[in-house]
Amino acid sequence: MAVEIPKEKWTSAVREVTLGATSDEGGTRSHTITVGGETALPFLHFEGETPNRPILALDVRSHKPEDWSPLLRQTWGKAMEDPATWAQAAEEAGADMIYLVLSLTTTDGEPNTPENARAVVRKVLEATGLPLAVVGPGQAEVDNELIVAVAEEAVGERLLLGLCEEKNYRTIVAAALAHNHLVQSKTPMDVNLSKQLVILINDMGMPLERIVMDPTTGALGYGIEYGFSVMERLRLAALQGDKMTQQPMIVNPGEEAWRVKEAKVGEGVPENWGEWERRALDWEALTATTLVHSGADILVLRHPETLRRVRAVIDDLIGPKSAA
Amino acid sequence: MTNHQVRLQPSNIIVEVPTGTLISEVIHLAGIDISQPCGGQGRCGRCAVILDDESGVRRRSTIRLSAEDLEDGYALACQTVIEGDVTISIPEQERIERRLVTDKSARKVELPFAYDPVTMQSVQAFQIHLSPPTMQDNIDDLSRLQKALADRGYSPIDIPLNVLRRLGTVFRDAKWSPWIVIETPTPPPGPARLIDISVEPIRPIGLALDIGTTTVTAYMVDLTTGQVLNSAAEYNDQINRGEDVISRIIYAEKKDLNELGVLVRQTIDTLLERLKLRTGIPPQGIHKVTVSGNTTMIHLFLGLPPASIRLTPYIPAANDPQSYLAAELALGVNPHASVYCLPGVASYVGADISAGVLACGLADSEVLTLFIDVGTNGETVLGTREWMVTCACSAGPAFEGAGVVDGMRATEGAIEEVWIHSETYEPTIRVIGGAKPRGICGSGLISLLSELFVTGVVDRAGNVKLDLDTPRVRQGEHGPEYIVAWSDETETERDIVLTKVDVNNLMRAKAAIYAGFTVLAESVGVELNDAKQVLVGGAFGQYINVENAIKIGLLPDLPWDRFHFLGNTSVLGSYMALLSHDAFEHTREIAQRMTYIELSADNTFYDAFTAALFLPHTEISRFPSVADIWDQEKRD
Repeated sequence: MAVEIPKEKWTSAVREVTLGATSDEGGTRSHTITVGGETALPFLHFEGETPNRPILALDVRSHKPEDWSPLLRQTWGKAMEDPATWAQAAEEAGADMIYLVLSLTTTDGEPNTPENARAVVRKVLEATGLPLAVVGPGQAEVDNELIVAVAEEAVGERLLLGLCEEKNYRTIVAAALAHNHLVQSKTPMDVNLSKQLVILINDMGMPLERIVMDPTTGALGYGIEYGFSVMERLRLAALQGDKMTQQPMIVNPGEEAWRVKEAKVGEGVPENWGEWERRALDWEALTATTLVHSGADILVLRHPETLRRVRAVIDDLIGPKSAA
Repeated sequence: MTNHQVRLQPSNIIVEVPTGTLISEVIHLAGIDISQPCGGQGRCGRCAVILDDESGVRRRSTIRLSAEDLEDGYALACQTVIEGDVTISIPEQERIERRLVTDKSARKVELPFAYDPVTMQSVQAFQIHLSPPTMQDNIDDLSRLQKALADRGYSPIDIPLNVLRRLGTVFRDAKWSPWIVIETPTPPPGPARLIDISVEPIRPIGLALDIGTTTVTAYMVDLTTGQVLNSAAEYNDQINRGEDVISRIIYAEKKDLNELGVLVRQTIDTLLERLKLRTGIPPQGIHKVTVSGNTTMIHLFLGLPPASIRLTPYIPAANDPQSYLAAELALGVNPHASVYCLPGVASYVGADISAGVLACGLADSEVLTLFIDVGTNGETVLGTREWMVTCACSAGPAFEGAGVVDGMRATEGAIEEVWIHSETYEPTIRVIGGAKPRGICGSGLISLLSELFVTGVVDRAGNVKLDLDTPRVRQGEHGPEYIVAWSDETETERDIVLTKVDVNNLMRAKAAIYAGFTVLAESVGVELNDAKQVLVGGAFGQYINVENAIKIGLLPDLPWDRFHFLGNTSVLGSYMALLSHDAFEHTREIAQRMTYIELSADNTFYDAFTAALFLPHTEISRFPSVADIWDQEKRD
């Protein structure tokens, strides 16, 4: 007897967003990347399409981060001394995109400046042909000052600029609008808040085709199930036709995983936690693959080995398409 | 292009203009000034004119005009264009102002039902004629009174000691025809009680109280006619010990339960003093008291420890306390007056709601009715005469003008309505009493928030846009703020502002209330739109502007004629219970019939709350009338 597989019929789709611009399009990227476009829940190929695979970005800093795990510093080595070299190394490691975070201070402890931010972004753009995201250090006033300069410097590149938060989005959105970039909206793990910020940004005149939303997540064991559920609900709303939830989602499992004890600490933990490096990589990879399943379209990672592993998982998930 | 002749009255000026000219432009061309506080956006209704003939014009928008207005030929000068010859009358500004305020003027409190003091009222006052004692008729004063009262059916009768102490003197001074006040037992049987005796004629007087978390309201009532002699309201002196019921409970638990009782009695004393000034009736002349209020307020008033209200499973000491003597409660009225507390439903749906449901008539309604009590706690009741569900959410005191930097009660000097110009962001304000403003009251805050939203001074999350080109927005001491009145225009000689924190408080208040009734409707599977009437009670209930309240998402987007503003329904219910024992019993029955929905049981309320924490709501499709205005503003 033939078994009928029940299928969900969705009326809508995730919006497609294209990152980066080639020389034909007013930028200097070697190619662009489109994310989103799903017409079903993640990887349910029998119910709908996943036209664009989730992409993996690597986290690159404008200045060497002293607080990063020794495991990461060991892996990236000297490349971390220079953002252009680091971005090149990231491209070689297989990144689809560079996620450049401007630091609060320069390596010699001076406050970061708009001039410096411009120079860093210019160098990184020259060093790699990948699409680029540029976000500030996370302090409203500094973010605004640096990102406005970056937007102007990289006019037309369709950078993903951030972070837009409910309390501070107007300056960054205005800069992105004026210089043809995209924005990353970030809200603290809540369906309504995610949606509200997209509305606020859209109300300023930013087309929905230029907004990627970051619903925020937690690391494995640190609230990931809550983050998963928020992303799942956003995706369900999107597929049901709720326009303001149809943005592709970006999440940062690298940042989340590397700040928890299980990844960060090598000594003074129970022996049965196992070998440090393996545990740390597992933590980042498991966090990331869980988020791939929850519908993430862009994942920001820190370790090249994690990137390799997560890519293999995505390949497998995308693979059955031909078999179906 | 065709030109048309427009005749303007009463000045009788004729202006010739092409098709499509706005009436406001015609008026301007004629050199006449008309007020346009909203900058010609069709929102304020101040530029209304009267047309002699509809055929010469086309209306672009009729918001702010009622069906009746349209019938009378009213049109908004800024929203109506000329398409033919027409005569237009420009009314005097005063007339327009009056027209705008009629729907908001405080109504006189009327008798809620035909009142018969003999059958309904437990407290009676009358003169009694005793036969003077003689050597032959030598029974004592007390027995003489008891005998006379027994003849009138009052037997047995309780006579308090300090009335007994005055008996002899009063009888003799009154030449054996004293006035007495008696309360018959409710419900019988039980002894009647002598409350007071006097040489002078006594009118029996009652006091209906509503003890709100933020505001205490009192009606002084003539128990013979049933009429309200006067009313007064004042902020609850407990506010400094916490703005909401939870912080009051914690204060009572950790610090001083007794102090909170003292504070509320102090507020009541202030009201009694004010009522005495206005009516000449001293507090001791009050013979009966009914008290409504939320469960926590009743607990604090009675001195009951409220701790268990706050903790799961949220059990109050008493939902339906009995009556007590004023003396026991140290209440500053006649010490022998009975004090009746109205029955509540649960820890967070108190006597104020039973009273409100009684007063608004929901319990007898044939149609689906939504009743909202807008106060520090936003309680909602949904139902018909067949069934009622209720819930409560903590809205905070913002709509009562508390917890807002320049908030105040709706009294003289309060800004009660605001219009903001769409291009200059300059406000036009209306102040109660017409004097210099001192602050902003609840309706003013709703109006202000609505205008800030529609003109785009704040974004839909309520953030003040500091990048606007106007001195009216600035980074203030408490964060970004909008200046409603400059210091040289105010009574206090300080700027009157609305800060980001104030906006947040207002947003939370309106979101909590709206979320409450969406959850309630979902819990019984009805659509909010199916509600045939929406009854709005609360301290400011009778002044609120429905259009503004819908714009900010406080009230559901329903046709305006479904809304009825009833004012303070809690004190109204208290008043009804004061007049009639049957009414009091009815509140008890109402309290028992309501099904209480606990909002903290799951995430539904929180989700509805965060969705409502946006202007007007995250789902703008719930507010189609606001979506239209918003789209229009964005296009402009």
